[in-house]
Parts: sequence; C-alpha cells; structure tokens
Amino acid sequence: MAQEQKRADAARQVPVIELRHIDKYFGSLHVLKDVNLSVQRGEVVVIIGPSGSGKSTLCRTINRLETIDAGEIIIDGAVMPEEGKMLAKLRSEIGMVFQSFNLFEHKSILDNVTIAPRDVLRVPRKEAQEEAMRLLERVGVADQAHKVPAQLSGGQKQRVAIARSLAMHPKAILFDEPTSALDPEMIGEVLDVMTELAGEGMTMVIVTHEMNFARRVADRVIFMDGGSILEENTPQEFFSAPRSQRARDFLNSLGDRER
Amino acid sequence: MSTANSSIRDVLYEPPGPKTRRRIGIATAVSIVVLVVLAAKVVRQFYIAGQLGPKYWSLFARYTTWRFLGRGLAGTMEVAVAASAVAFAAGLLLMLGRISRYKILRGFSTALIEITRGIPTLLFIYFFFLLAPQFGLKLPAFWKITLPVAISAAGVVAEVLRSGVNAVPKGQAEAAVSLGMRGGSVFFKIVFPQGFRYVVPALISEIVIVLKDTTFAYVVNYSDLMQNAKVLISNYDALLSVYLVTAVIYILINYLLHKLSVRIAGRNRIPGITIE
Repeated sequence: MAQEQKRADAARQVPVIELRHIDKYFGSLHVLKDVNLSVQRGEVVVIIGPSGSGKSTLCRTINRLETIDAGEIIIDGAVMPEEGKMLAKLRSEIGMVFQSFNLFEHKSILDNVTIAPRDVLRVPRKEAQEEAMRLLERVGVADQAHKVPAQLSGGQKQRVAIARSLAMHPKAILFDEPTSALDPEMIGEVLDVMTELAGEGMTMVIVTHEMNFARRVADRVIFMDGGSILEENTPQEFFSAPRSQRARDFLNSLGDRER
Repeated sequence: MSTANSSIRDVLYEPPGPKTRRRIGIATAVSIVVLVVLAAKVVRQFYIAGQLGPKYWSLFARYTTWRFLGRGLAGTMEVAVAASAVAFAAGLLLMLGRISRYKILRGFSTALIEITRGIPTLLFIYFFFLLAPQFGLKLPAFWKITLPVAISAAGVVAEVLRSGVNAVPKGQAEAAVSLGMRGGSVFFKIVFPQGFRYVVPALISEIVIVLKDTTFAYVVNYSDLMQNAKVLISNYDALLSVYLVTAVIYILINYLLHKLSVRIAGRNRIPGITIE
C-alpha cells in the first residue's frame, strides 16, 4: 500500500530518466528512430524485442555509452551533456549492469565494489569497505570478497556487478541483458536479486529475453523493433493481448516454452 | 613428449604415431652425430691455432681478472638499469601521447615513436658522442651511452605498452565510466594496470635488448663488461677464452632476466588472464 502511494507521488515529480527524440545512426543504419522514453521514480521498465531492434543500444544510450545524433537525455531534471564533469556526475547517478559483467579483472571482489565510491565520491577506505561488505552480503557473495572475478561463477559475477552499482547509491539502474551470458542454472539467482531490488522500489530499466521475469516484475513493458518503440503496455496486457502485429509475431516466435 | 600443462603446441601438432616416432628418432640421432662432429672440428681448429693453451686460460685463475670483469659488469648493469628506467618513463609518455585525444600531440608522439624505433642505436650514440659536444652539450660517458640506448628503446616500449592497453576489453572502461569515473582514473586505475600485465614478458625482452645494446659502451669509452673484456684481450692476447667467458656472463644475466619475468608474470597473474 505504502509502495503504491509512493509511486503515485513519484508520478507527479520529474521523471528519473527522460529521453526526448533520440536519433542514432551506425553509419547509414538508423538504429534509434525518434525514441521517447520517460521512467518515473520506482518504476521498473522492461524493454523487449527481437535482436537488432535497438533495445541494447537504447539502454546504453541512457548513460551515453553510445553517442547520439539528435535528441536529449535528461536525468532527474538535469540535461546530460556530451562530456565533462557533469556527464561523469550524471553517469554516477545511474548504475549499469552489463551482459558480460565487466568486473575489473585485476581487482578483488571487494575492491570492485569500493573503487568507484572511493574514486568518485571520496568515501574513506574503511567506510567504503564496510558498505561494500553489506552490499555483498545482500547479494549473497560476501564469502567471495577476497577472490578475483575469474574465480567466480557467472551468476556470482553478475551479483557482484549489481552490488558494485548499488555502492554508488544510484537513482536508477540499467540492466543490459544481464542474464544472457549466464548458464541456465545461474539465471535464477540473478533474477532473484533483481526482483528483490524491484520490490524495494529501485528504479530499473531492463533489457531482457526472460519473459516470465518481465511479466512478474515489470510495471511497464516496452516493445521495440527496427529502432522504434512500437508498443508501451502493462505486462498483463502486453503478454495476453499485444496491440501491435509485430509484438504478436515476436511473442509467437518465442514458442510455448517462454510464454 | 607430452607436458603436463597444455600449450599451443598440443593444438598445432597431433601426438606422433609409430611412423613419426621412428622418423623423429632417426632425425635426432643424425643431428646429434652431426653436431658432435662439428663441435670436434671447432675444438680441433682452436687446438691447432693454440687457443686452448694454458697461457690463454691461466688469467682466469687470478682474482684481479675477475675483479676487473666484475667492475665491467657493474658498469653494464648501471647503464642497463638507468637506460631501462628512462626508456620506460619515456615510453609511457610517448604511449600516452599516441593515444591522446589531441591530434597534434598524437601526430607528434607517433612521429617520435617511429623515429626512435627506426634509427639504429649506434647512430644515437654517435649523435651524443660526436655531434652533441659541438653544440655545447657535454655529458659524462655514462649518459653518452645510457641516453642513446634508452631513446632507441623508448619507441618500442611505447608500442608494447600501447598493444597491452589496446588488448584490455572495452567493457572494462565502459564499466568504470558508467560508475562515474573520469578519464585519468579510468586509464590509470582500470585500463593500464591490466594492459601492463599482458605485456610484462615483452617488456622484459626489451630489457634484454637494452642490456645487449650497452655493449656499444666501448664507443664512448665507458667501461662496461664488453669494454673491459677487450682490455683483457689486448693485454693477454687471449681472444677465445675471454670472449667465451664474457658470452657466458651475458647469457647468464639474460637467462636470469627471463626467469625473473616468468616469476613476475606468475606472481601478478590474474586468474583468467594468461601470460605466456
């Protein structure tokens, strides 16, 4: 109940993430076509679509890991510039979890989580380590703190990556196909952590192929194809009665297993 | 024939079958015979020329000979260490220049790298030995050998470091950037430490080259191992014995360097990142 109240309040405030008229080309390929997206505080937005639809690019565009050719990115009311201090600051407010984990291979798990708070926020070492241990505890890998990434399983690595994002106290976290590189038996443990985060009111943008998960945690489903957003819908409606023909084709192509 | 740890060799070559094993056996036997015959001929020639006579070898029974060679070795090591340090610092700066976002700095660094890589060490030595004094730049003999050796290694070091930095997956920098880290931190805390680990063996190889380049010290009258060996040769007229002993010393040092590189690589090894 309190959660719903919070979300209702948030709706009246500025969106945490707002994309306005984003256009992007890879050479002559138009990969994002006038994309508009607004994510409210506490909202979980799941982006789905066939491969090559631009969903990953869109996700990476939100913190400008991809350059854009036109449009505006606004983070919590502040326009994200193309470079400089302000860009770094706004990026630090938006967490990012990658398909290939991208943990810092030469640093221990603990250092992976503390490096950004210490380097960017100037948190003292001890304080950063205590917080990191709490976060590692929370995602269930505290016992791995003194190992290096290569010694962990994929599922453990991705949970560390989530802890690393959380250490910056982000206003939102972007997940770019967080389970696509995982062995099937490890997908569950990562999705569990994400479900927990969603339950705690974290603002999330998730690109995923996990349809059951999407149905369960999404507040809103966005269907992309050919660089455009074709449909925005509640998960209930999207999965039972998608409005667009292409979304219907896409869902059918997934087969009965996923649905 | 097989080793415990699998290497690229195991992938390239299938294990030999019975026929191949026989061929390898025959080839090995023939090679050994040829080598023994050749070695015997060489020794015989030296014997005929009288180079194996005790008067050419007795000098090594004297303490002063070893002390003299030892001083030379110390000179060699001093130049090698100083030149390696200068080459690394200069190489790092050149590499940073070459990957800089500023076009002018990039072009300038690239040109310097190509020049230092393209010019033979001896030419740099002549520059510092013959040309520089005419323009009032008078350096001690130590720097007349150290600087040219360092400069001709700097370009190579820059390119080796750059290849290491380029080998670090792009996702590493992306992760750092997405956490709000800025250019300098991203490079020096995330990218460079990983890239450096990839190229430790290549850097040690470059130190070996630096060490061998120090033998040019005789040009500038700096007493290194080679220079002192030459003095011994002219004093005792003992060509073969002194060259042999000197060569063995150089081999030993470079072998130790190789061992050191394996140890460093082993200690700094990040599980998952293999250094050959």
